[in-house]
Amino acid sequence: MNECDYIESRTSFYLDDELRADERRAFEEHLGRCQRCRDAVTAEHRFLEGVRNAGPLYEAPVDLRRRIEEIASRGGLRDVVRAGMTPPPQALPPASLFARLSRGERVASVSAVGILIALLGICYLRGTDTRLGRVPSEFARLAVNIHQQHLGGGLDLEISSTSPQDVSDWFSGQVNFSVKLPNYQEASGQDQLYQIEGGRVVTFKNDRAAYVSYQMDKQPISLLVTSDSVAAPSGGEEVVSKGITFHYDAIDGLKVITWSDRGLTYALVSNLKERGQQSCLVCHQGTRDKDFLEGFNVGSSGPRQSYKIQASRTALRLNPDRRLPTRSSD
Amino acid sequence: MGETKTNCSYYRETALDHLDALYGFAMVLTADQTEAQDLMQETYLRAFGACELLMPDSNLKAWLFVIMRNVWLNQMRHRRSGPEFVEIEEQEGPGTPWLDGGSEDPLKLLLKKVERERVRDAIAQLPQPYREVVVLRDLEGFSYQQIAGIIGCPAGTVMSRLARGREKLRLTLARWRLEVMSKATANNEL
Repeated sequence: MNECDYIESRTSFYLDDELRADERRAFEEHLGRCQRCRDAVTAEHRFLEGVRNAGPLYEAPVDLRRRIEEIASRGGLRDVVRAGMTPPPQALPPASLFARLSRGERVASVSAVGILIALLGICYLRGTDTRLGRVPSEFARLAVNIHQQHLGGGLDLEISSTSPQDVSDWFSGQVNFSVKLPNYQEASGQDQLYQIEGGRVVTFKNDRAAYVSYQMDKQPISLLVTSDSVAAPSGGEEVVSKGITFHYDAIDGLKVITWSDRGLTYALVSNLKERGQQSCLVCHQGTRDKDFLEGFNVGSSGPRQSYKIQASRTALRLNPDRRLPTRSSD
Repeated sequence: MGETKTNCSYYRETALDHLDALYGFAMVLTADQTEAQDLMQETYLRAFGACELLMPDSNLKAWLFVIMRNVWLNQMRHRRSGPEFVEIEEQEGPGTPWLDGGSEDPLKLLLKKVERERVRDAIAQLPQPYREVVVLRDLEGFSYQQIAGIIGCPAGTVMSRLARGREKLRLTLARWRLEVMSKATANNEL
């Protein structure tokens, strides 16, 4: 590749301001002495300006703006959202259908909706075994949200360290339970497959949860831990192992595993391609757990499917024995 | 706790500054005004409900876009079908940006308007994965890394989708200009 070809391949990055300072300097030096490349960059710049000037594509309608402002002014809705992530119909009418109905139609539809909710409630209670498993827990959703925030650069770590001991020590006094992250790979003689990055404290239901970030093949893995009095795992595909029920779920294309053990609830988020339980093998390959984990014989996914497996309970374990008293929730 | 409330109050106010940008993205995702409005409401509800998780130096705009895309993905998953692009009604009026030209030559304004409409049409014709990154980069000004965070894929994927999206845009616009020139030539010959 000659210099001009290289410059051509970097033109978009240059115009998008994505070059490092030294690359940018070299790029501009070349433009200073090459008319052909200068013309090409000018043409590309003109094209991008044309695209950028096409915006804004849309303006939010006035009534929508008003509704959003209303949402912003209602602090009470926050609790509603936190509890179920969807506000009740009387708290906020949807923009579609409901808003278009006449008053009489609205009354009728509210009654119809009430009956429907009641019927669904009965069906729900009767069919608990088959329906409960489908809805991911709020804690699992929060874990995914935090994982994505961290991935998008919107959530910095409060401690950055590749030492599990350092991160464990940092959490001491920050959360209402003892955090002891094992150096599992070292203990088992396993190759360094994943690495701890650090952690931070996040808020969940007025309580403090521990967020720990790992890296594996440059892919982030997140672990969120809180007291089981604050969050309970639910939803997804369930796997029972030695008395612990693991909930395997997929939210926004990410794998989430949630479980409770000895007073703590955990959520592990990754974008590993391996489905469900098989993703455990990625971290645990070459370890003593592998033999147990390979015993997974996973059939088609579905709610409330249980598989008897023998997984070790030593991996990614905080130290629940040293758990401190839980702070009463506000 | 008091600080959290202050932050949330600040975020709620600041989040409203991104209303148009988010609505544009909602339209890109849903291609339907009603669905876009529902998506907006759900996005803001979730954002306000989780604002205490945001750190003071967080990129609020990027975070809102992440939430919107997640909400949309969940909705799509429930429907189990992808969105089809439909013709979007023009909403011209006093507030329409391209008419705010002051004393500019009306002919130039008209040409600009036509050009913008063509670009908008070309963007609308892009397949969803390309349209998304083009809008996030070229209209909303997010960096490659921020876009990767919003759509949940590696920055390399963002770069390749952006390059292909822009290439498709270039081809569509070039084809349109060629058609215009052909018509003009034909009219002159008559």
